[in-house]
Amino acid sequence: MIKFEQVSKTYPGGFRALEKVSFHLERGEMAFLTGHSGAGKSTLLKLISMIERPSIGNVFINGKNLNQITPNQVPFARRDIGMIFQNHRLLQEHTVFDNVALPLVIEGIYTQGEIEKRVHAALDKVGLLSKVKCYPKILSGGEQQRVGIARAVVNKPPLLLADEPTGNLDPELSKEIINVFQQFNDVGISVLIATHDLGMIARMKNRSLTLKQGRMINDGLTQEALI
Amino acid sequence: MSLLFSSDEKRQGAHQKQVSVITKFIYFLVQNLRQIVTSIGEIWRTPVASAMTIAVMGLSLTLPATLHIIVKNVQSINLEWDSASEISLFLNDNLSEQQISAAMHRIKTYNEVESLVYISKDDAIKEFKSSSGFGQALDYLDNNPLPASFVVTPTSQHRQAEAAKQLLLKLEREREVNFGKLDIDWLTRLNAIVSMLEESVFTVALLLMVSVVLIIGNTIRLSIISRKEEIEVMKLVGATEGFIQRPFVYTGIWYGLMGGFVAFIVVTFVVWWMQSALSEISGLYMADFLIESLTFSEFLILMLIASGLGFSGAYWSVHRHVREIEPDLD
Repeated sequence: MIKFEQVSKTYPGGFRALEKVSFHLERGEMAFLTGHSGAGKSTLLKLISMIERPSIGNVFINGKNLNQITPNQVPFARRDIGMIFQNHRLLQEHTVFDNVALPLVIEGIYTQGEIEKRVHAALDKVGLLSKVKCYPKILSGGEQQRVGIARAVVNKPPLLLADEPTGNLDPELSKEIINVFQQFNDVGISVLIATHDLGMIARMKNRSLTLKQGRMINDGLTQEALI
Repeated sequence: MSLLFSSDEKRQGAHQKQVSVITKFIYFLVQNLRQIVTSIGEIWRTPVASAMTIAVMGLSLTLPATLHIIVKNVQSINLEWDSASEISLFLNDNLSEQQISAAMHRIKTYNEVESLVYISKDDAIKEFKSSSGFGQALDYLDNNPLPASFVVTPTSQHRQAEAAKQLLLKLEREREVNFGKLDIDWLTRLNAIVSMLEESVFTVALLLMVSVVLIIGNTIRLSIISRKEEIEVMKLVGATEGFIQRPFVYTGIWYGLMGGFVAFIVVTFVVWWMQSALSEISGLYMADFLIESLTFSEFLILMLIASGLGFSGAYWSVHRHVREIEPDLD
């Protein structure tokens, strides 16, 4: 699903954020990406979401080399990736419904009825159907994060990327959020979660990729999965 | 449209919506319509700032529109007065009555001449006495210094400045005529003033249009900056540049239309005000000046120009500033 081949990223000014990173996240796999702040987690996610381009090396999604995607194609490619952010990035002056509907409205090929159906389905999956008419600011942090997840999955992308989704949440809520991800993974969606919540990683027993100063120092893959 | 995944491999079981090109186009139109409507809401979101922009725009367009009305009306006056030109022919002294009436008849037969009025030396001095206020002083003169004259009115085809000049030259060749005078100097001057005004309309209009484009561009820029967060999120969830830019462009067009309408109202008011000021003058001249305001087609042109300016300002601004906004993860 996601494949990095000897990827390095140097920012203007000479800061080397990633160095020769290679890994392969299989279809339907759920993995954690971990490491200290500044280890390169965000850069790695930015390369997948095409916010940044690699300096050297290739990133593939579903076998498609992202270097070949032109700036005009980026929006269309991003529609296949559901993204979840640490501060959830909801639009505060729009209702929960409008926030979740945004990707569908942008795609512009759905009728109002279809949009309603899909938004309700997505909110139902994260357990927030009752909050559909609320504004994000009256929701708790965990609920806002779940709205963010609903928005990421509403157009049924095959891949979910999450950047510190539990960074602002207490352990109880974190567990809830991770369970939501687990549920999506169970139906075949590939999930990559960047986090420094080591306790959670230990609990979940998923594959974990560890970055240190831009290098992949540990690909916590069992031997069988490597083959 | 799925770029990274073919639709059948996109999530097992979950059916991906397939739409034809025509359906896509219809959805595109619907999406645009929705954006056109919501872009009015964007103006309403910041009522004071929007009202200022619209007012500045309206007033900027008022000046060229008013100048245009002045030029248009002066031109119509010009046309009226141009055709009322008369030729005064001053006759040689010492002509006998027979010679004068012979000349009168001869000139009357000219194709170019519609009518002719004879003003004798006595008539001339009487008129001069009554109108000049030198009545007493004139009595001291030994003889009447004023010449007899014909006042010739050319036919309508020969009333234009050029044709009247030709006729004057022809009449001056008559042996009884000492010299003729065609009073069109003031018309030439008026024409010069009108063409200067016309020129200034263009210059002023051009300058103000540029400023309108800049004003709209700046307003849209501020609007883009205030919605930076929203634009970033939209980019992250896969919105194209066009999808993000369009509402701003529509907002610009709305600003234009509203500004144009303000200009129309102000111009109508200015015309009404000038009319009341003019009615005093026309009372003095015992003539009826009616200022013609904007016609319906001119109103449409005004709105078209205004919305065009709104569009250009917004497009220019959006093109620069939306592209600049790059999303980040946090």
